[in-house]
Amino acid sequence: MSLSRSPSPQPGGGWASPGLNIASGRSSPTTRNGTSVMWESSRLKKGAGTGYPSFSTQGSGFLSKHMRKISSSLPRFSAAGYDEKDKPISRWSTQNVPLLGRLRNIVGRMGRKLKIRLLILFTLLLSIIIFYNTPLVYHWRRTTWLGGGQKFVIILAANIGGGVMEWKGAREWAIERDSVRNKKKYVANWGYDLEIVDMKTKKRYAHEWRESWEKVDFIRTALRKYPKAEWIWWLDLNTFIMEPTYSLQDHIFNNLDKHIYRDINKYNPLNITHPLTDDYLDEVSRSPVGDGKPGSVNLILPQDCSGFNLGSFFIRRGPWTDRLLDIWWDPVAYEQKHMEWEHKEQDALEQLYTTQPWIRKHTAFLPQRMINSFPMGACSENGNDTRIHYDQKDRDFLVNMAGCEWGRDCWGEMYNFRELSYYLNRNPWERFKEDLVAVIWFKLTGQKVKL
Amino acid sequence: MHYAYPPRKASHPPPYAPRSSRNIAGLRRNRTKLLAITGLFFIAVIWLLTRPSSSHAAPSPHKPSGNPPVVIVTAVDEATYDKDYLDTIKENRIKYAEKHGYKTFFPKVSDYDLKNAPKSWTKVVAMRHALTKFPDAYFFWYLDQNAFIMNPRLKIEDHITKNSRLEELMKKDHPVVPPDSIIKTFSHLKGQDVDFVLTQDSEGLSAGSFIVRNGEWARFFLETWFDPIYRSYNFQKAETHALEHIIQWHPTILARMAIIDQRLLNSYSQHNKGDEYRDGDLAVRFVDCLAAGVQACQTESQKFTQKWRTAFSSS
Repeated sequence: MSLSRSPSPQPGGGWASPGLNIASGRSSPTTRNGTSVMWESSRLKKGAGTGYPSFSTQGSGFLSKHMRKISSSLPRFSAAGYDEKDKPISRWSTQNVPLLGRLRNIVGRMGRKLKIRLLILFTLLLSIIIFYNTPLVYHWRRTTWLGGGQKFVIILAANIGGGVMEWKGAREWAIERDSVRNKKKYVANWGYDLEIVDMKTKKRYAHEWRESWEKVDFIRTALRKYPKAEWIWWLDLNTFIMEPTYSLQDHIFNNLDKHIYRDINKYNPLNITHPLTDDYLDEVSRSPVGDGKPGSVNLILPQDCSGFNLGSFFIRRGPWTDRLLDIWWDPVAYEQKHMEWEHKEQDALEQLYTTQPWIRKHTAFLPQRMINSFPMGACSENGNDTRIHYDQKDRDFLVNMAGCEWGRDCWGEMYNFRELSYYLNRNPWERFKEDLVAVIWFKLTGQKVKL
Repeated sequence: MHYAYPPRKASHPPPYAPRSSRNIAGLRRNRTKLLAITGLFFIAVIWLLTRPSSSHAAPSPHKPSGNPPVVIVTAVDEATYDKDYLDTIKENRIKYAEKHGYKTFFPKVSDYDLKNAPKSWTKVVAMRHALTKFPDAYFFWYLDQNAFIMNPRLKIEDHITKNSRLEELMKKDHPVVPPDSIIKTFSHLKGQDVDFVLTQDSEGLSAGSFIVRNGEWARFFLETWFDPIYRSYNFQKAETHALEHIIQWHPTILARMAIIDQRLLNSYSQHNKGDEYRDGDLAVRFVDCLAAGVQACQTESQKFTQKWRTAFSSS
């Protein structure tokens, strides 16, 4: 026999490869009793199979477990009728009345009331199936003139620093996996589109170094790729949607003018002079709120303790956006400012906002906790700030673990928020089990149970 | 007539009983049901139509009404030039404007805080100011103070800015900075896409005489051009080089620009730097004189003063 099928010494217990143990400890399961399979075998296995580490799969399939039970309950094939080929009717040893006839018989014997009750039950069942098991709801939410989900595209910046600068470890993979799964679920629920972009550090541009302005290119590409998209929502990787039951429409866009503020003086950590006062500007440019109509807002972003935050922001399709994306990176500005601009494209935008009236009058801000709550570790110089930090009582929409890669534990934060989000969004059955049954059980027996 | 017996029934009855009476009865019986169903339907439609909408249509931009159709903008430097000279300049523009129903706008250099940038930057902010002052004009023509309008018969719309005329005039696939810039003007522009018309001389773009169409784009363009970051950069030819820079780096600007023949808008008084003025041209600019000083410009202008006066009085 070939070595490729040699089973692992432990049933269901993973693959033990001496070669991989030393370096990683990351994704491969550890060997518990020290027995090792030869390296050769796992190599062969890889060459022969799909390339994924295969755990023992034999005997775990549904059919192989239940084959016996299922087959014994099937109608029997009677060998008696087999010989006489002219009598096919008696082959299966069931009653001869056809199924439809039997059904009709049953229905005929039912009372009117029962029929109506059954009908109601059937409709209920049907609507449950439609709501939960068919893509109908999804399509409803997606269609532009019904749910309007197609108007929103989420761009998720993945693979930060992957590629040249550093190798990703298990934690980075886990963060990425959780973050992507979180957005995928959200998007699938509400019928939006998700575009995962690769922020790999590499020199894309031959003639200059415009890193972290790739945002611009990705937004442009997304606008081309999703022609029905109206709003692009940019999200950094270290974000987690805590409340997947909030739709963007309900949460922000149906009442846009109530949520946004256009007068930066309301919260102005950068101390930008606002509004502009130059005589040569028209009234709209000198007004603190632009023209005041929600329709003229083309860029919505939150501010954190140190100014604009581009970890989570919205930008709207239109000629204004084309111009902004075009002007955002400028070699003359870059040459003069790149030493000061610690946050690159973010600082460039602040600069544009400060000096360009045409940008200012179409920009609006959202209170940070609407779309970009920080965990306690970020912006923590002045302690807890209700404008900035996540509060589970208020069920904030999204957490952005901004700056966690500088000395904080990204994966730990991500994990905790993920668990918190699951906990907050338990369904009634889970609540019943965990908050009632388990508690009662604990009081009675003094033992904690997991249900 | 009257028979003792009713007529006999036909021996072949109609094959189907008429259903109409039954139908009506059924309808009457179902009327409430029918009403309920249509009512529900209408409620559903109304609900669909009145849901809170997540998309707010962008407010339509202000449409200029063409009053006045064209504004001629000249920024004047009262600190350096003689008053007489500037008066002649203004008179020239005003006379031309009156003839065609245009307006003029003469802001002073000292009106604006340029943050230590060269004075020539004034033209950009002056144009932006003109957009604010005349929100209903179609076009804004910036003409430098060292220039005269020579041909009063030419109307800006017919001479240059009409869409069909622009399509004829614009140089397509033409290097932006001559002779061999790799950035070239677009070859598929339509007349209505053009918001900015200017000319080139032998050294590059010439920003002494240009036309801007009123609109959101014009505001974006002028404000971008006037960005303090360009003013502080110390471009060799100040705003002209800044203009060359933004045109070559930012396609949203390049896509709205048309370069036309120099003599249509911007003839020079001498031929060393560009096309020389010939009779019938719209305007003449004195360019060489600037290096020699303000006085030289004023003397050079005198050569043309008499000419335009006669041209204006005769037409």
